[in-house]
Amino acid sequence: MCDIDAAQTPDARKPTNRTNKTQNERLRVPGKCIKCKTARPNVTIRKSLYCKPCFVRASVVKFRAALSKSRRRIADKTTPNTLEPAAPRAMVALSGGPCSSALLQLTLDYHNSMLQKGAAVQSPYLQIIVGHIDESALFDVPNDAVRSVAGDAVQFRQAHLEDVFAVGENSGALLEIVAASIAPGESSDRFRARVLESEHFSSSSSSSSPREQLHRLFDSLESATNREALLDAIKMFLLTKLAHASNCSVLLMGDSATRIASKIVSLTSRGRGFSLPLEVASECLWLDGLAVVRPMRDFVAKEIAFLNRWAGFASVVVPTFTTGAPAHASIDRLTEAFVVGLDCDFASTVPTVCRTVQKLEPRPEALAACSCLVCGLPVDPGSLTWRSRLTVSDAPSSSSAAAAIDCVPADHSSSDSSNNGNSDVAVPLLDISTRLCYACQSVLHFCKSDGLVLPAFCAERLADQTDSSASNNTRGHEDLRKQVEQFLIDSDKEDSD
Amino acid sequence: MPRLCEICQNSKAVLRRPKTAQRICKQCFYHVFETEVHNTIVDNQLFRRGDRVGIGASGGKDSTVLAYVMKTLNERHNYGLDLYLLSIDEGIAGYRDDSLETVKRNKEQYSLPLLIVSYEQLYGWSMDSIVEAVGRKNNCTFCGVFRRQALDRGALMLDLDHIVTGHNADDVAETILMNIFRGDLPRLGRCTEIATAGDGYIVRSKPFKYAYEKEIVMYAYFKKLDYFSTECTYSPNAYRGYAREFLKDLEAVRPSAILDIIYSGEAMQVAQDVQMPVAAQCERCGYISSNRVCKACTLLEGLERGVPKLGIARSAKASLEGVPDVAKRGGRTVERVHFDKLWENARRMRLERSENNTDVCTGSACAGVCNAQNTGSLTNM
Repeated sequence: MCDIDAAQTPDARKPTNRTNKTQNERLRVPGKCIKCKTARPNVTIRKSLYCKPCFVRASVVKFRAALSKSRRRIADKTTPNTLEPAAPRAMVALSGGPCSSALLQLTLDYHNSMLQKGAAVQSPYLQIIVGHIDESALFDVPNDAVRSVAGDAVQFRQAHLEDVFAVGENSGALLEIVAASIAPGESSDRFRARVLESEHFSSSSSSSSPREQLHRLFDSLESATNREALLDAIKMFLLTKLAHASNCSVLLMGDSATRIASKIVSLTSRGRGFSLPLEVASECLWLDGLAVVRPMRDFVAKEIAFLNRWAGFASVVVPTFTTGAPAHASIDRLTEAFVVGLDCDFASTVPTVCRTVQKLEPRPEALAACSCLVCGLPVDPGSLTWRSRLTVSDAPSSSSAAAAIDCVPADHSSSDSSNNGNSDVAVPLLDISTRLCYACQSVLHFCKSDGLVLPAFCAERLADQTDSSASNNTRGHEDLRKQVEQFLIDSDKEDSD
Repeated sequence: MPRLCEICQNSKAVLRRPKTAQRICKQCFYHVFETEVHNTIVDNQLFRRGDRVGIGASGGKDSTVLAYVMKTLNERHNYGLDLYLLSIDEGIAGYRDDSLETVKRNKEQYSLPLLIVSYEQLYGWSMDSIVEAVGRKNNCTFCGVFRRQALDRGALMLDLDHIVTGHNADDVAETILMNIFRGDLPRLGRCTEIATAGDGYIVRSKPFKYAYEKEIVMYAYFKKLDYFSTECTYSPNAYRGYAREFLKDLEAVRPSAILDIIYSGEAMQVAQDVQMPVAAQCERCGYISSNRVCKACTLLEGLERGVPKLGIARSAKASLEGVPDVAKRGGRTVERVHFDKLWENARRMRLERSENNTDVCTGSACAGVCNAQNTGSLTNM
C-alpha cells in the first residue's frame, strides 16, 4: 500500500516524470475502471468509474494523504523547528455511525501498517484510543454494538452525556439561568444567571439524579434546533475531557465532506459565523493542548457508504433528535436535506462549499476572545451591541432610560431579586451576557430558559474566567503601582522617620 | 380583551413583528423600524452632511419605502442630505413602464427630483430586444450588469455623491448563502459590506440591509404607500430561487435566521493569502472592472456581433477577439459616453454650483475644485 510519509522524503519530492505518469493514469478506457483500466466498474464517483478493489485502495490512499497533510500542518504550527516531533497519542471520536467507523478502521489500518514496517518508519501516532460518548440517556443506542465496532484490539474510553451533571462529590457547581432575552420587551440584551453551589443542591430542584437533570434540560430547550446545538456542545466538551484524561493531544473527528458542507450552512444560519472557521477546519488548534483533525473531509457520504460495504467496516445506526422527522424539524435537518438536494442538481456543491470555507480564517479578535460558557468557542465582543442596535425594543419615549440601563457594567452582581423564587438561598445574580456567544444567546432566548440549569462545565468555565480576570486585574493594578511607585508615600516609613 | 402592545404597553397590538415575534402596535412598529434604519445609517457613517444622495427607485415596495423613510429621517434627524430619485428604464413592456408611472407619482408625493435613464438611451438595447436576441435564459445577467453601470451613469449625470438601494436583509442573506454554495469568496467578502468602497466611483449603500422584507411590506401597507407590486415578466434567477426558498424555510424554523446569517457573513474573514481580484478600469468605457474589458462592454459586444453567449459561457469568455463578426440582430449601435467625460461634466456642474453659491460642496466628484465645508460624518444624531 502507498506510504505517504515515505513519499514525502526530500528525494521523493524532486520533479520526476510523475506528472506524465499521473496523466497517463487518468486516461480513461471507456466502460472500464479509471485506475486499473481492465476491470468492469462498480461505482461512479464524481463522473469517474471505479472497480471495487481500486475504489477501496484509492480511498485508503486519499485518507492517508489527508491525514499526513494535517499532521504536517499541525507540526508546522506547533513545533516549527523540530525535524521529527514525537508521535502523539490520538483519540478517534467514535459514535458508531458510518463516518466515524470508517475513520477508526482507516486510522488503525494506517497505524498498524506503519508498526509492521518496524523502526525504519515512524508510526504517525504513539497509540490510538477510541473515545465514545454514550447517548443512551437521550436515545435508544445499541451500546454493545458500538463496542463491537471498535473491536477488542484498541483501548476504548467512554463518557456518558449525564456526566456533565455529575457534581457534588468533589464539590462543584451548576449554573441556573434566571432570565434570558435577546431584546423583546427589554431595553437591552439581558442574560442573568446564578451559581448553585453543591451545598445548595439539596434545597433546590437540582437535587435529582444527573440523568433526570439532563432530561429536564433538553425538555426545556423546546425546539430540536436548540437541542441539537446543546448536544453538540456537550459532546464536544466530553470528548475533549476524555482526550485530556487519556493524554491524547490529537482528536480525530469523522466529519465527511457532506457533513462538513451541511454543518457550514447550518452554523451560518444559526449565527455561528464568528467561530465557524474553528468548527469546520481541517485542523483546529483552538482547544488548549488538543489538535482537532478531520481526515475524512475529502469523502462524500456516498463514498463512505461504499467503502464500508466493500471493505467490510461495521457500523451502527445512531439516532438523533430528527431521525425520521420531516425536513422542517430543525435547522440542521433542513440544511442537510437542502445541501444533499442541491448537490444532486448542481454537482460538486459539497466539495465547493468545503473548499470555500477552508479559505476562511478566524478573525484576530476571535483568537484572543474569552470562550462562551455554553459552547466553549470564542465570544464576539461586539455582538451584543450589534444585535441591540438592530432589534430595537424600546418605546418611543424610553430612550434615555435605556441608555441608563446600558451603562450598567457587565458582570455586576445585581443586588435586586437575589432570591427570585428560592427563598432559602440568597445567591447573587450575575450578568453573563458578555460571556455567551451570539448563537448560544439565541438558544437561551428561544427556549423556556427561566430556571434552566446548565451543565457543570458552564459554571466551571465561569469560575475560570472570573479567576483569570481577577488575577489580570490584580496584575494590572500591580503594574500601575510600579509605574507610579516613586511618587507614593509609604506611611509606615514616613511615621518612623 | 385585546392584547396590548409589548413595547408601549398602552395601545392595542395590531401586528406580530417578524423579526422578534413581538406583538406591537402600529406606532411602535413605525418607531422601531425607522430607528433601526437610522441606527444602520449612523453606526456605519453612510453619509456626510451636504451629500447629494440618489435613491435607486424602481417603483417596487423596497425602493418606495426607502424613498419615504430616507425623506422622513433626513427631515427628522437633520442629516442635511439632498435627495434625488434615480430610475432605470430597462425597457420591459408591461412591467417597467407601469412601475415607472409609480415612480413618477412618488416624485410628486415626496417632492423629490427624478431622473430616468434608459438602457435604450445608454446602450442602444432595451431588455425586450435583448431577450429577443438571447432568449429567456441568462437574460438576468444582462439586466443586472447593465443596471449597475446605468445607475453610476445616472448618478454622474446628476452629480451625486452617493446612491442608496433598497436591498433588504432577505436579499443580503440570500446572497451570502448563494456565494457559499457557489464558492465565490471575493463576492462572499463583498456582499456583506453595507457600502461599496468607492474606489473612485460613486459610493453605493444599502440602508435596509438589516430590515426584513416582510417588515418593509408591512410598513408600506400600514403607511398606505403607493408602490408597484408585479414580478418581472422575464424569468426569475434560477439559482437565487434555490437560496430564496431555503431562506424562507429557515425563517419558518427560526425567525431570527435572516439576521443570524447576516451576522455570520459579517463575522467571516477571508484568509490573507487568498488571491482577490484587483479593481482596474475598463479600457473601452472607463468603468470599474477586474478584467481588461468590463462585463457590460463584453456583453454588448456579444450582442452587437450576434454572439450573445459572449461573456456568459465560460469557454467564450477567453476568446473575445476570436469571435467572428456576424451581422448584429436587434438593437442599434450607440456611441457610449466614456466615464472620464461623465466625471468631467459632473465636476463642471459642481464648480458652477459652487460659483453660484447655491450649495455646499462635499462630494467625491469635487476633487478639491472648491472649498469643502461641513463635511463631518453623520455619527451623533
